[in-house]
Amino acid sequence: MMPTAVDDDLLNETFAALASSTRRAILARLAKGAATVNELAEPFDMTLPTISKHIKVLERAGLVIRGQQAQYRPCELNAKPLKRVSSWAEQYRPVWEASFSRMDEYLRQLQSKTRDGRSR
Amino acid sequence: MMDIRSSQGAAVVIEHRFDAPVEVIWQMWTDPDHFRAWYGPEGASIPTAKMDVRVGGSRLVCMEVQTPSGLMQMWFTGAYLEVVENQRLVYTESMSDENGSVKSAADMGMPEGHPTTTEVRVELDAVGAGTRMILTHTGIPEDSPGAAGWRMAIAKLTDYLKARQ
Repeated sequence: MMPTAVDDDLLNETFAALASSTRRAILARLAKGAATVNELAEPFDMTLPTISKHIKVLERAGLVIRGQQAQYRPCELNAKPLKRVSSWAEQYRPVWEASFSRMDEYLRQLQSKTRDGRSR
Repeated sequence: MMDIRSSQGAAVVIEHRFDAPVEVIWQMWTDPDHFRAWYGPEGASIPTAKMDVRVGGSRLVCMEVQTPSGLMQMWFTGAYLEVVENQRLVYTESMSDENGSVKSAADMGMPEGHPTTTEVRVELDAVGAGTRMILTHTGIPEDSPGAAGWRMAIAKLTDYLKARQ
């Protein structure tokens, strides 16, 4: 079903950034706490430059913030853009709720038909 | 422990109780004639609903909405992922043409990165003579290999988000 409204460019960026299992894994790791690029690269069979590229995509989408400590620049999760993803899904709620009220009404009609049929 | 259902950030979860047994509610979702009677937002009608309700079977639904510029038709296609009679129905949904060829969100004039495919999960439970239904509608990003990994990641992130609030 169609959502009731169309969303903004920021939401796009969030979805685009989340559309990668590597980047989602990185975010899941950061949900446990800040980490350096080296630490983030550890579980992956990928080169550091590749992991860095993924982190840059997440940074651009505002999902990751880099610390300013010169050497390590630890990565930290910024969960704010995820709220927009959450509200994107919420657009479907009124559409479904209208449908289910219609189903309630339809079920009542069916039930009264059945009752009429029995009483005859 | 958090309820896993409420922790799916990119999903909308709706619980609804019906005054009808699970067998009837199952029919509402899987019998095209019943489905057409209730599905869709206010003011929409469903002229077409084709459903091959078995795992891997396809579905094609047309929604008609009256707009100021005339009657607008929207087509949706998808496949059934789980079919457990009177208990659980899971299917995907994408916008399509009338032949069921998927159109990307961008084709439909929506911003790039907007999920082309969503997943609808219907879970039914008998409660007395009635039914408790839990509907979960999830957005799946375009190149995502499957919803499961996506949902797990989102669940963790949403836990994190809630812990911070």
